[in-house]
Amino acid sequence: MFSYIAKRLLYFIPTFFIISFVSFGLSKMAPGDPVRLALGSTDSSAGQMTELMAGEQAYYEMAEKMGMNLPSFYFSFSSAAVPDTLYKVLKTAERENLARLIDQYGNWPQIEAYYKSIKAIEIAMFSVSSDSTNFSQIGKVRQNSGALLSAYEQDRIEFAIEQLVEATQVPSMAPVKGPVLALKQNYQAILAEATPYKNYIPSFKWFGWNNQYHFWMFGNAPFWSNAEDHPSKGYGFLRGDFGNSYADKRPVTSKVGEAIGWTLMLNMIALAISYLISIPLGVKTAVNKDSRFDKVSTVILFALFSLPSFWIATMLINYFTTSEYGMNWFPTFGVSSPGIDADTPFFKFFFDRLHHLILPIFCMTYGSFAYLSRQMRGGVLSILRMDYVRTALAKGLPQETVIWKHVFRNSLIPIITLFAYLFPAAISGALIIEIIFQIPGMGKLSYAAIVGRDYPIVFTVLMFSAILTMVGNLAADMMYALVDPRISFSKK
Amino acid sequence: MAEKEKIPAKKPQDQSYGAIVVRQFKKNRSAVWALRFLIFIIGVGIFADFLANEKPLYCKFEGQTYFPVFKQYAVDLGLGSNPERFNTIYNWRSDVEFESVIWPLIPYSPTTTDKLNRDYTGPFAKQRVQSTKFKHWMGTDKLGRDVLAGLIHGARVAMLVGIVSMSIASFIGILIGSIAGYFGDNKLKVTRITLVLMLLFVPLAWFYGFQVRSYAIADSLNSGILFTVGHIILGVLIAAAVFVIPYLISRPLKRIPVLGKQITIPVDILVSRFIEIFVSLPSFLLILSIIAILESPNLYIVMAIIGLTSWTGIARLIRGELLRVRNLEYIEAAEALGYSQTRTILRHAIPNSLTPVLISIAFGVASAILTEAFLSFLGIGVPAEQVTWGSMLSAARGVPQAWWLAIFPGFAIFITVTIFNLMGEGLTDALDPRLKK
Repeated sequence: MFSYIAKRLLYFIPTFFIISFVSFGLSKMAPGDPVRLALGSTDSSAGQMTELMAGEQAYYEMAEKMGMNLPSFYFSFSSAAVPDTLYKVLKTAERENLARLIDQYGNWPQIEAYYKSIKAIEIAMFSVSSDSTNFSQIGKVRQNSGALLSAYEQDRIEFAIEQLVEATQVPSMAPVKGPVLALKQNYQAILAEATPYKNYIPSFKWFGWNNQYHFWMFGNAPFWSNAEDHPSKGYGFLRGDFGNSYADKRPVTSKVGEAIGWTLMLNMIALAISYLISIPLGVKTAVNKDSRFDKVSTVILFALFSLPSFWIATMLINYFTTSEYGMNWFPTFGVSSPGIDADTPFFKFFFDRLHHLILPIFCMTYGSFAYLSRQMRGGVLSILRMDYVRTALAKGLPQETVIWKHVFRNSLIPIITLFAYLFPAAISGALIIEIIFQIPGMGKLSYAAIVGRDYPIVFTVLMFSAILTMVGNLAADMMYALVDPRISFSKK
Repeated sequence: MAEKEKIPAKKPQDQSYGAIVVRQFKKNRSAVWALRFLIFIIGVGIFADFLANEKPLYCKFEGQTYFPVFKQYAVDLGLGSNPERFNTIYNWRSDVEFESVIWPLIPYSPTTTDKLNRDYTGPFAKQRVQSTKFKHWMGTDKLGRDVLAGLIHGARVAMLVGIVSMSIASFIGILIGSIAGYFGDNKLKVTRITLVLMLLFVPLAWFYGFQVRSYAIADSLNSGILFTVGHIILGVLIAAAVFVIPYLISRPLKRIPVLGKQITIPVDILVSRFIEIFVSLPSFLLILSIIAILESPNLYIVMAIIGLTSWTGIARLIRGELLRVRNLEYIEAAEALGYSQTRTILRHAIPNSLTPVLISIAFGVASAILTEAFLSFLGIGVPAEQVTWGSMLSAARGVPQAWWLAIFPGFAIFITVTIFNLMGEGLTDALDPRLKK
């Protein structure tokens, strides 16, 4: 048994890392710039020069703080055309565009020169003093040099370059004229010296430990140290540093901590209720098999099992929380009424909560209740067929004794172990209900994070759900062995 | 189906496994009804364009005869184009003076907006329509779209989701499960050199199959699902072709004793561990996060992702079943006759272990339909203009007066899910060996 548990715990490690790769990969593939998300601003090419400078400055500081100035992973496996320094281009959109260009032409030195000359134009623009004569030209240069950073099609690039050349014909634009000509030449060099074959040569690049994944997972603070000693360093996921939410800059730990309480409470109540009802119901229907009660309840349970909970939730909200049909019995959303807080007298507080949570708990309960009842009925039926039950009845024991002492206890085994499987499933099932009823639990939090691309939270939720699933599965297997001595894991 | 039940029982019964299963299944009345309903829904899905369409099936106006619905099919297939006259018709119900016309059962497409009956016109409310033919039997939504037309076309979406995602799941599940089940832990033997070379070529196969063409694959998402599928198949073929190289290199090298030593690969252990890790992934959250990062998600991507995350049950079943089957005499006989491994697996082992997978597929379809309905209920993964049962249901949120928007699509989802659950139950009973008497 012990070695079995140890072995199962060992599997946690690869699973944990695979999930971390998956969620890290997802965040890397997601469109949008994580630094911009964290800054909560959009890239703007308008505005005063000083503002632009400050914006750039903030961007680079944030990127460094988030570790975005590091390579993504320990290694990369790509083509020989891709340089190993591409990650140093911090802005996601610009980096992706350069990768596109590399895919088309395969000559990084020329593409790099071209990229630098676009940047040179932006710098040269600082020495142009704007006056009434060149107002439209300045706008044109800014717009087209910005467009070049995200253009890879030949016609778009050539059009933008033509526009730049045209705009710099005015004498007051002289400082930019040189860079624009250099840009044009560099672009022609890309076309003339293209080496697309390089894209077909595989190459393996090793970046070492200093990378984004490592930073996220293990942090960069010294191994045995307290968070107080190194406030500016990251401690990594494994040491409990889940980062800050992009949305409101709060630590993920506190946001998840608040949310998980709601989810656990709702699930515990829902599961407790479904067990309390389904166990006696299962026994009763199985003992009176083929009675009218059994037939009716089987049909109803089957229907309940197939009822989509988001449909029921929508209907309940529509019909029992509005006065449209005169049935405004429950509050619509949320977990408490306005004006109710911790200072409210206990009973008032309690009934307010109850009032809010009845509908969501009902929606979370009926599905697992139907499932459990059917399982319980099946379990009791199979035990009733056993020889020892027949023996007990034959030797004259009263039916009540046989059922509650011999049948009931044995048929509980599968039901109890189901708990461990139901629990992780319930957590993701609660997602639906939490979103519809606006309950601030894990489901709502993770949904909002996924939609808003708030990756620190998505990472954490994914990892914790996976861990919960694994622990649940392990617990279920162990309970099997504990309650049923015939199951043994030591035997190979 | 009804005639078959009347076959006299005296006739010697077919005792093959399949025949027994069919007989057992037919005894289960609710499962048989579920099957009939399923055939009905599939029919509705297939003929959705002829049942609910804003264009007439046949019409004659201005001295010309047209078959607009059929013509649209031809146009969609790239055969010809719609007549010039069609481009100036925005509303088929009022823009044209027909000399004679045959409308579909419901003269609305799911996306047709009836401007006269906007803002949630109920089925019993007074509707501003020309005649009973144009009545909205199940009401309309905010934009004036017909609910019944949406239900009919939603049936097609639901069936597609079920079929496509479960086909993907079955393909992967059967492939992986049968590899694990047939080879077990001691049947797959390769030489050292082949193993090493094959492992070395895995990254290369990935590189030439997919990485080199990653932009082409990504761009193909915008040009249609067939292009994407074609690109992926091409990638798999290229990857397979790359593996021919290590195979050819290893052939002469095998003769060297050290390199040619046989190693047994514990396929079953490897696959089982992989499945164990895979089922620990929180699949719904994963589906949600994958779909949320796609820039232009469409229904087929949603189906593919649902399929890619729900193959484990099938793989486990097939594995268990094959572990049982492969020790049976007829497999030994096949091997003794000198049939190749591929032939033994494909022709003899797998067909005999497929039946239990049907159960898993039936329940899988139910949960795939539910997942898709919930995703479109949240508005994730389906384009805004696509009408599905889930998206119709989400339109009912916060509009309690429009009860028809909540009741009908929800009921459609419920019925369909129930049908598949009933079929799964029926199959479980029919395939239960204890009932085989």
